[in-house]
Amino acid sequence: MKQAKILFFVVISLFALVLVSCVPGGAQPARGWSGTVVHDGILYTGSVDGRVVAINKSSQNLQWFYTITMPSSGMSCGQSPVSATIYGTPIVDGDIVYVGSYSGKVLALNTVARSQDLPFPQTRYGEWEWDCPGTNAGSNAIVADLVMSEDALYLSSSNGRVYSLDKEFGDLNWESDVLHEKLWTSPVLQGDTLYVSTYDGRIVTLSVETGALLPWFFESESGFASRPVVYEDSIYVGSFDNKLYATKIGASELSWSFPGGNWFWGAPLVSEGVVYAGCLDGKVYAIGAETGEELWRFESRDPGGKPVPIVSSPVLMDNLLIVADELGSVYVFDLNAELEGKAVVPLKTMSVGAVVRSSLFAQEGLVYIRAQDNWVYVLDIDRGGLSWKSTLTIEE
Amino acid sequence: MAEVWYLIIGDPVLNGLIALSSILFHNFGLAIIALTIIVRLALWPLMRRQLESTKAMQSMQPKIQELQKKYGKNQQKLQQEMMKLYKEAGINPMGCLWPMLIQFPIWIALYQAIMKALATTPENLLDLAQHLYSWEVVTQAIPLNSQFLWLDLGQPDHTLILAIIVGGTMWVQQKMTTAPTVDPRQQSTNSMMLLMMPFMFGLFTLMFPSGLPLFWAASNVIGILTQYFFTGGWGYLKFRSPFRPAPVK
Repeated sequence: MKQAKILFFVVISLFALVLVSCVPGGAQPARGWSGTVVHDGILYTGSVDGRVVAINKSSQNLQWFYTITMPSSGMSCGQSPVSATIYGTPIVDGDIVYVGSYSGKVLALNTVARSQDLPFPQTRYGEWEWDCPGTNAGSNAIVADLVMSEDALYLSSSNGRVYSLDKEFGDLNWESDVLHEKLWTSPVLQGDTLYVSTYDGRIVTLSVETGALLPWFFESESGFASRPVVYEDSIYVGSFDNKLYATKIGASELSWSFPGGNWFWGAPLVSEGVVYAGCLDGKVYAIGAETGEELWRFESRDPGGKPVPIVSSPVLMDNLLIVADELGSVYVFDLNAELEGKAVVPLKTMSVGAVVRSSLFAQEGLVYIRAQDNWVYVLDIDRGGLSWKSTLTIEE
Repeated sequence: MAEVWYLIIGDPVLNGLIALSSILFHNFGLAIIALTIIVRLALWPLMRRQLESTKAMQSMQPKIQELQKKYGKNQQKLQQEMMKLYKEAGINPMGCLWPMLIQFPIWIALYQAIMKALATTPENLLDLAQHLYSWEVVTQAIPLNSQFLWLDLGQPDHTLILAIIVGGTMWVQQKMTTAPTVDPRQQSTNSMMLLMMPFMFGLFTLMFPSGLPLFWAASNVIGILTQYFFTGGWGYLKFRSPFRPAPVK
């Protein structure tokens, strides 16, 4: 009887461990939510399977791809390389595409070398790879978007430091002190200062030249969920206590805080004195940048009437505000329209029919969305529908 | 189905764990240990039945071993006699299985809560937002501090210390409840199981975020303590069988 009991317990334990580690109830697999960018007619994005993909916008054909790999650390996969996850949106400067990955690498990929599928890195083409220091794969992961200046890249790492790299050769310019146990939000470059929000509720300022901490910082009781946004002399940032905070640069007091129903995960967008912020409570809020007063709101709901979280940041296209909810509905708001009360109705509503978490990219009447189903959807805002779409799944 | 699970068990356990972390000096390690104790206390009526059953089986051990010695070569007869003995003593040998089964959803919820709360990937952190109550004690605690003693609770512990603690405590707890037998094959299976389970969980400790092995270790220690105080001693840990098992032919 004892033997049966022990065997039963072993089987159930193993079953439960396998089950809970595989289903969403346990740890969700990292798939990333890289955004898209369009440069010189080529669309660049990171796929859910760890590839940097370039697609010709006119022909909608694949130009090239490059798979970022990392050693596996799983139970059953041994040490064979697996594809790394990409959260950040690639940034492009001339022929070079920069991307950070969850494996802790920053890569500079040359579009010519990649089109010819040459071994990476081709230093004569200006390609390089930089490994973020860390004790294991988890702690040096790069989740946040890279930030680019004229001659340097800036990045936050899960090891809690901010780094500056030389854009041309990938050499380390400087590393900051550890700001928190992990940094998953990107720094914001404004003049000669980097603004960094931390999960322990601080906005710290770093010197762009040296990475040294500058005297001004702002402290809150709750951690900051989103990257900060600098607009004129103020900073706007979402917090884990379900509030959006505004403070003047140099001040130690809050200008205002705005309560939402959940986290303000995506960075807000500030334009012409209005803060537009998507919230995980399913609402988009328009808030006076100076006063913190709510101007209007829109609530996204699924067909069953349940609020749908808004994960990605809104984008602006002329006088149109474009917001996507997590289930792939895309709402277009006319910011010049007369307001009738606080609840607004979108000018147009479209759907990509897939989960959307990545940042949107708007250009020349088109909105580019990389969805979690590993497709890129391009919406024509004037026509109010899908222009074209392309899969990022590549048969090698 | 998943929504019902989170509504009834998953989310209350998760939010309880985070609230505890907030109360216990923003120390998530202490919160895991405290919640393990609370769950054990909440499940005490069930645990008690299990322990009573174990204790009764333990007290009957000399009689069982006599039967094993007597009918060792006739398994069918041995089973019949043992069932008769259990019936006479009013013990249901399956009785200790049901409390274990009922506890299982709670352990799974605890596992999920630890994994969710630690939010080791950005996806997990984003998903966490959909499971949190709007209590201030919860919202103020996010994101959790994953440092506890030498451990980063969101990362596996590669120092072997936690693996040894988990494996060692599991071995002690099992040894306290595994009755010796005169059947050499059963004895060999028992011995293998006694080593295999701690070894497996020790191995898991090196692979899972250490918040989970901390829960296993806390659970094992509480199990050992309750076993010790309820059954009045170390059980079969110091028990020496009067029968020397015959070599397998």
